[in-house]
Amino acid sequence: MHIPDGLMAPVVSLVGWIEFPVVFAAVLLLSGKRIKERNLPRVAVLSAGIFVAQMLNFPIGGGTTGHLVGGALFAMISGPTIAVIGMTIVLLIQGLMFGDGGITALGLNAINMAVIAPLTGWGVYSLLKGLSERRGARGKVVGGVVVGAAAWASVFVAAAACAGELAVSYAVSSGTYGIAATVAVPAMLGIHAVIGIGEALITAGVMAYLWSVSPGSVTSTDPNRKTLPGLRGAVSSDTARAVIAILIVFALALPLYFLYSSQGKDGLEKTMQDAGTAEGRPMISSPFEYGQDYFSALFAGILGFLAVALVATVILKLVRMKTVRGEEP
Amino acid sequence: MTMAHFGGHGRTHLSEYAGDVWFGKLDARAKLVGIFVFVIVSAVLTDFVLVLVSLAVALTLVLASRLPVFYLARMYSAAVPFILFASVSVFLFGGWERGIEMWARTSACVLPLLVLAAGTETFDLFAGLRRLHVPAVITTLLMLTQRYILLLSEELSRMSIARKARGFRGARNLLDRYGVKVVAFTAGMVLVRSFDRADDIYEGLKCKGFGQEMTPWRRSRVALKDGLLALGLATVAGLLLTVQLGVIT
Repeated sequence: MHIPDGLMAPVVSLVGWIEFPVVFAAVLLLSGKRIKERNLPRVAVLSAGIFVAQMLNFPIGGGTTGHLVGGALFAMISGPTIAVIGMTIVLLIQGLMFGDGGITALGLNAINMAVIAPLTGWGVYSLLKGLSERRGARGKVVGGVVVGAAAWASVFVAAAACAGELAVSYAVSSGTYGIAATVAVPAMLGIHAVIGIGEALITAGVMAYLWSVSPGSVTSTDPNRKTLPGLRGAVSSDTARAVIAILIVFALALPLYFLYSSQGKDGLEKTMQDAGTAEGRPMISSPFEYGQDYFSALFAGILGFLAVALVATVILKLVRMKTVRGEEP
Repeated sequence: MTMAHFGGHGRTHLSEYAGDVWFGKLDARAKLVGIFVFVIVSAVLTDFVLVLVSLAVALTLVLASRLPVFYLARMYSAAVPFILFASVSVFLFGGWERGIEMWARTSACVLPLLVLAAGTETFDLFAGLRRLHVPAVITTLLMLTQRYILLLSEELSRMSIARKARGFRGARNLLDRYGVKVVAFTAGMVLVRSFDRADDIYEGLKCKGFGQEMTPWRRSRVALKDGLLALGLATVAGLLLTVQLGVIT
């Protein structure tokens, strides 16, 4: 999944280079003391551990092998912010020492493998881990399935992001860069759906080993974690943080989506053009001139995204309040 | 000479020959700036002839560096699947010229980076990044991680010998439950040992005066020959870019 230089359209690489430093700076800020003096060697040791674990190949079948990506595993062990920092370091070492990846493509590679993979894995794991806690004796098996699902999702979503970047590059450069969507999407998703199974099995095995041998080393299942009161408690709950992680992954894809959509007509417009009909005057015109150019589409999209997220949060809150009231004796 | 060998990716530590060639003795900052500028410009070239010229420059750099060509070719092969996938896809949709252009452009970008990696001692490379004002938290983590990778990869090879001694010959496929379990537990063991070592390593570092940052002990200055390399690569990149933009025809 390491994209080399010269493959992506410059504007797409630029999007990666804008997004990644912003995310990395935010993560450094959020990680606070956990990335300070005493913990710095711990993060480095864990990054080295993940790098070395990546050296273990597993057979996929048909004579081919895959190896652990480790984004979900890193996030499940140490939390999402440390995972983003650690995976970035792993990627930089792969790039600088082995020539895997590149300079202009570093932003996109980091977004895919150091941000999207750990955040997706961690988000899915946090949303589902309650299932294993409620299953008693069968909890271990369900726990393994939950970890496997998170690991598979992390690889698959990261591959989907990579395929999307290749397709957008192809579209915005009229075929000079990237790979056509008809080739990139099925090829990347097909192979990574299978690699994801290997990732799921190995990650589930590693987590099972850690739970039984060194349970204290897994931050995400720390039984001594304190629950904060009020709004801070709501924001720091597993579900809320998982939703935030998944929303960040979604938000990272938005600029590329709008870059792609600003290039051509959507399905309805194309159908209308083919049918020889024209769009009438709208009853209300958008103040942002939606869809006129890339930036207005991006701005309108972000506003729409925030509005939907806000409405969904309010609805969830109301449903939860009603459920809690119903449970009261 | 760094002698660590990394097995799983099928790759060997790249800077093994850095001490033996003239390219390895140049200042890391000059190499970083020169090669990064060249790679960035090569990545934006779309004119077929200019892309071929940039590939020729990259190949010249490979030969002039005196690094073993077979060594670089082996490392280049790691990037081949993606390059081939892209080139064949572009060839099928856009014709042979675009396919060759894609292969040449990506190769012109990958080869100089391999020369940089193979021709620079790893810790000099990280120290060079720090001297170029890359944030200390990143360079310190890079240096520490690289140090621990050497330790843990030795541990992994010992575990591999122990597995072989017990008759384990690797998993056959993903349905081989026992094989997959052994691989997963080995990865788990590497992580547990890394956690165990973290505190010992930290105490050791404190004894050696570690604060927030790994400060390079060796002094380094950019000499004339270092400057000439950076200037030469930047000039070639500048010329390619001006022709691409139509400033010079």
